[in-house]
Amino acid sequence: MFWTGLSPDEARQFLANKDKSKRDKRMTLKEAVQKFVKDGDNVGIGGFVNGRQPIAIVHEIVRQGRKDLTLSFQSAGLAVEYLAGAMALDESKNSIRRLELAYWAHEAFGISPLFRYLAENGKIEIEDWSNYNMSARFKAGSMGLPFIPCRSPLGSDMLKKNRAKVIECPFTGRPIMLLPASHPNVALIHVQEADIYGNCRIQGPTYTCPEIAKASAYTIVTCDRLIEHDDMTRHPNRVTIPFFAVDAVVEVPFGSYPGNCNGVHYFDEKHIAFFRDACEKFRKGDPAALTNYYEKYIFGVSDFTEFIDQIPLADLYYIQKNEPSTTLDAAFTVLG
Amino acid sequence: MTKYASDFTPQEMIVVAGSRTLEDNKVVFAGTGLPMVAITLAQLTHGPGIVPVFEAGSVGPTLSRGLPLSVGDSRTTYRSNYLQGLNSAFELTQRGFCDIGFIGGAEIDPYGNLNSTMMGDFPDGYQKPKVRLPGSGGASDMACSCERTIIIMVHEPRRFREKLSYITSPGYLDGSPNARWKAGLAGQGPYRVITTKAILGFDDETKRMKLIATLPGETVQSVQDATGFELIIPDDVYEFEPPTVEEIRLIREVIDPKGYFMKKKIKE
Repeated sequence: MFWTGLSPDEARQFLANKDKSKRDKRMTLKEAVQKFVKDGDNVGIGGFVNGRQPIAIVHEIVRQGRKDLTLSFQSAGLAVEYLAGAMALDESKNSIRRLELAYWAHEAFGISPLFRYLAENGKIEIEDWSNYNMSARFKAGSMGLPFIPCRSPLGSDMLKKNRAKVIECPFTGRPIMLLPASHPNVALIHVQEADIYGNCRIQGPTYTCPEIAKASAYTIVTCDRLIEHDDMTRHPNRVTIPFFAVDAVVEVPFGSYPGNCNGVHYFDEKHIAFFRDACEKFRKGDPAALTNYYEKYIFGVSDFTEFIDQIPLADLYYIQKNEPSTTLDAAFTVLG
Repeated sequence: MTKYASDFTPQEMIVVAGSRTLEDNKVVFAGTGLPMVAITLAQLTHGPGIVPVFEAGSVGPTLSRGLPLSVGDSRTTYRSNYLQGLNSAFELTQRGFCDIGFIGGAEIDPYGNLNSTMMGDFPDGYQKPKVRLPGSGGASDMACSCERTIIIMVHEPRRFREKLSYITSPGYLDGSPNARWKAGLAGQGPYRVITTKAILGFDDETKRMKLIATLPGETVQSVQDATGFELIIPDDVYEFEPPTVEEIRLIREVIDPKGYFMKKKIKE
């Protein structure tokens, strides 16, 4: 058996030695990535497919360049596509070594061109799991348990090449599957609201973000808005990630754009298709569109605000208008 | 008298067949794409009491704010009865709250096992597949732990194979007696396979795929010709009722007017 990221015992020891105090964790995204994302890390990716993915954090990682990453997630789209695009363009600056995943594509927007490119050219090591498996692995990590039992997908070929074990249940005598916990070195999470200490209030589906944050050694949180701490603690059971599971808090409006952020904005379908087309052209042998995309939107800007600055305001209004979920479900004051 | 539509696409036929297969008042765990369209159509016709469950965490939403583009997007959460995350949705399923799992796959075998992971040589070529597909997502969890599953497939010989290169989502496994139970699974397995050409089920004894009905324009022979393995053909195969004018109108004008899932070309 091998562990990627931290083993359960290392993860426990890591927290024992960690400063868990309630302190102001605001910093720039540049600082947060410099401090908490290292070459060779196992990176836990928050969100689900193209919902509330940590796009701003990934852009910053790509700008700084990180190599030999292991990416752990249930279902992802844009966040991993952006990392893959950077690797496709220059492997000496950015690279993914290994994937622990259930699904990488964009649902209605199509399959992932760069997952096909990387896998079919043998450029990455893959460990397939199901969505429940990856979610339960993070959950085991968040519970301080080395494994968690699970019934699915018993009988699937996934079990032949991943680290799951099938045992006879000691109580029923029937086969049951055991999944090893996942403890990434760093979790990347985008939420709607956070306070300066790192308390997070996720609206809409929580996906697996609370579990990933609690299982990981470090957690970087970006939020659409920082709010007053008093407003956060007025609804304590709406706090979905507690402050001591967070290490850096960065206010980044539209931080999961062009994906969907519940209650804030819907997908920018035009921009997703535009980026995906550039990836597909790369897969088919023409790198120009992808090179141009990265030069214009990622390497040509110094931070995420300058990326958003290039998106037509009318398009941003449109995705806000088109978002069907309640905009606010608990009153708060935006932190001045 | 019911008016039948004279002009409809293979996707529309699949969606209509899928919708009619769903009973009212059942809890239906919805996969991405055509299953979402079929559930919405069923809700608007005979099944207003259908309770959709989405894997990103939403239980029992109202799908009246546009067709979701993802099983985790905001449109799956509108007026949700319960909304948590992936662990919650799959734990509820493992516990037995979901009657039907509604999924699709790239390839299927005679026992209803599905592949959505890779084409090529497994296990030796796993790290460098001929074609890499998106992966299981939640489909294998649904196939294992929903009480029954309904599978949607494009019907062509290369997708209906005697042997798959990779089993992502278990059906009846090798078809041996009680194979699912012996593997440790909770749900009963595939109930129907709905394709662009036919409605199929599984033989009670052998668990191999059998023809139940042919869709409009198809014959027993044309369905068998499009299947890469031998189907069981019972005596009581019937012709499926064509889509009605109203069903097609609902799909085109109400459910998917922009054609996200309905306008994609099916390669024949």
